[in-house]
Amino acid sequence: MNPAISLDNVGIKYKRKGNILRPASYFQALSSISMDINHGETVGIYGKNGSGKSTLLKVLSGILKPNSGTITNHGVSVSLLALQAGFDPNLNGHENAVLGGMLHGLSRKQATANLPDIEEYADLGEFFYEPVRTYSTGMLARLGFSVAITTQPDVLLIDEVLSVGDQDFRMKAERTIMTRVRSQQSVVIVSHSMPRLKQLCDRIIIIEDGQARTQETS
Amino acid sequence: MGFLYRVLRTIFADMEPDAPVQSPDLSGLLPPEEAFEWPRHASRHHNWEQAAARWQVLRHVYPDHPACWFQGVNALTQSAKYDKAEDLLARAREQFPNHPSFFAEAGFLDMQRGDLDSAQESLTKARTHLPKNFMTWVWSAQLAEQMGDYDAALVYACRATECAPERAGLFIEHANLTMRAERYEEAIEQWELINDRFPGLDAAYKGLAQAQRMLDGADEAQPESTKQDAPGLHAHPIRLIELIWTKAIFNLHSEVRRNYLSFGWWVLEPLMHLAVYQIVFGVLLFRGGPGFLLFLMVGVVSWMWTMKCISGSSGSISGGQNLMFLVGVPPIVFPSVCLLQATIKQIPVFLLLIGFVLFNGSSPGLHWFALIPILIVHALLNIALSLAIAAVTPMVRDLQQIIPTGLTLLMFMSGIFYDYETFDQKWHALFLLNPVAFILKCYRDVFIGGTTPDMAALAGRGAICAVACVLFLMIYKRLRYFYPRVVME
Repeated sequence: MNPAISLDNVGIKYKRKGNILRPASYFQALSSISMDINHGETVGIYGKNGSGKSTLLKVLSGILKPNSGTITNHGVSVSLLALQAGFDPNLNGHENAVLGGMLHGLSRKQATANLPDIEEYADLGEFFYEPVRTYSTGMLARLGFSVAITTQPDVLLIDEVLSVGDQDFRMKAERTIMTRVRSQQSVVIVSHSMPRLKQLCDRIIIIEDGQARTQETS
Repeated sequence: MGFLYRVLRTIFADMEPDAPVQSPDLSGLLPPEEAFEWPRHASRHHNWEQAAARWQVLRHVYPDHPACWFQGVNALTQSAKYDKAEDLLARAREQFPNHPSFFAEAGFLDMQRGDLDSAQESLTKARTHLPKNFMTWVWSAQLAEQMGDYDAALVYACRATECAPERAGLFIEHANLTMRAERYEEAIEQWELINDRFPGLDAAYKGLAQAQRMLDGADEAQPESTKQDAPGLHAHPIRLIELIWTKAIFNLHSEVRRNYLSFGWWVLEPLMHLAVYQIVFGVLLFRGGPGFLLFLMVGVVSWMWTMKCISGSSGSISGGQNLMFLVGVPPIVFPSVCLLQATIKQIPVFLLLIGFVLFNGSSPGLHWFALIPILIVHALLNIALSLAIAAVTPMVRDLQQIIPTGLTLLMFMSGIFYDYETFDQKWHALFLLNPVAFILKCYRDVFIGGTTPDMAALAGRGAICAVACVLFLMIYKRLRYFYPRVVME
């Protein structure tokens, strides 16, 4: 298997308190994580609240740099499926969709080219051209998911997002995620629901006390 | 079950298997349906040989129950003991001459042996005589598929689900058959139905994904044009600039839509400041005089640009926490957006100032060309100051508290509503060390004095600001990973 991203003994610590005047104390979120995310595979990350799952996603997405160990990106684009990132309530759905795409790393041209797809996928009707502050929570979630899913990185990181919108849209969202899961795209899903991960993933990484161990699923 | 088995073995210990049956004393035995659970349990685990053996035992206990015979045939067929199955089937037919299960089991046996024509004949009869048995339909579907008739197979599979709507397996088999028939759109509907009816089945999720993928593959749903090259803002400076520009424009749109007077505020706000200073300093404190309004206006307009850049940028990195975390937007974006926004808003105000100057100030001439370098140096100064303050505030949050006071101090020290030349000469050089004061002096030289400002001094300050800007850009690039942490911690 070809690794897309490799982590080698990655450790992350956060400063809990302390400043120039007082000595700092640290919280070790991840102590030594070694793992590969391979091309085309779906990896689940399981752990209890506060076990460091989301921190690990931030490391994988390149937002956080490890304090120890190394992370190697073998030339792939990585993106966290971030819903409603940077939405401005006074702008309409259309404008927020452009901005959202650009925040996910697309050029303006690409983001604009995605608009028809987003409009169709979000299925908001006339509301697509109304300010986002007039949206219901469900509509907001639909737009957010539609924008996020149209940016197609090589490695997609998902942090518990499958509860979006109403029943119909949730089905549609799940279907799209499943398509990604079974496609050549690598997908990393963070969850604290083991059955859910077993359904979706080739392999589950369990984070406990800042350490990782792997569990194969059938 | 083990206990029952031992009891039955004891009762029939001296009997040959399948010897002619004498009716035993049935009192004290389990009711048939309960006893049949015993072989069916083995069947459910696909332990067909064990199931066949158990049915064989039960045939001695419940010889009048067709299930013991026909399901025994089925277990033998499943375990590929076709001859034994055929033999038992013949004896079952003797025992129950008109029983409809015969056709179904015969059809299944023939199908397993590869005799498709006979199987077809038997299963046709089974469908007529035994339409409520879902296995009839399952086997009919299997046979039709083997014969390549997917239309019929799908109809039969569907009938099977109607006969036993509580069995998820039948629905899954139906959907799988639809997939094999390459009718992916129908398959998607079926998988969704299964997801609805029997939530949480692995097979349904995986089937759904598979169907979706096959459909996408079949449609060539991903033409080259929609394939996007690697996203990642850090690697694309042009995208970064594009993002800053778009975000600034959209922020302005958003701001404008919040107010009734929309764009009007861009001009009204500086005019209101101007009015306040004019009343306080010009009227109440008698500092005014001919030309004071123009003097004040030049000062207020240019000061407000700097002030808005700094106050907007100061908290911008902390404010962008979410975006840094969620989508990894580089920290430089946040102060840059604020700078650009303040600059765009400055344009109409500046045009208004020029209009006012044309009526009341120096007449235009070659010295007005000095405005170009002045504006450039002023912009560089704003960028350097804003980037510096935006960079420091996340590290020392307390700074955020003193910025308004600091800005007020800077305003008073820059000679907006007084002329520094009224001070003693020895303070002049010191006063002009304040770059904001120096820039204000340059504007006033052009607009009021009608002269070209000290270009050498302007160039010197411009160079310092430019170096500072480059330095800050490098610092921001270097501290890219630092800010998300600092903001969080």
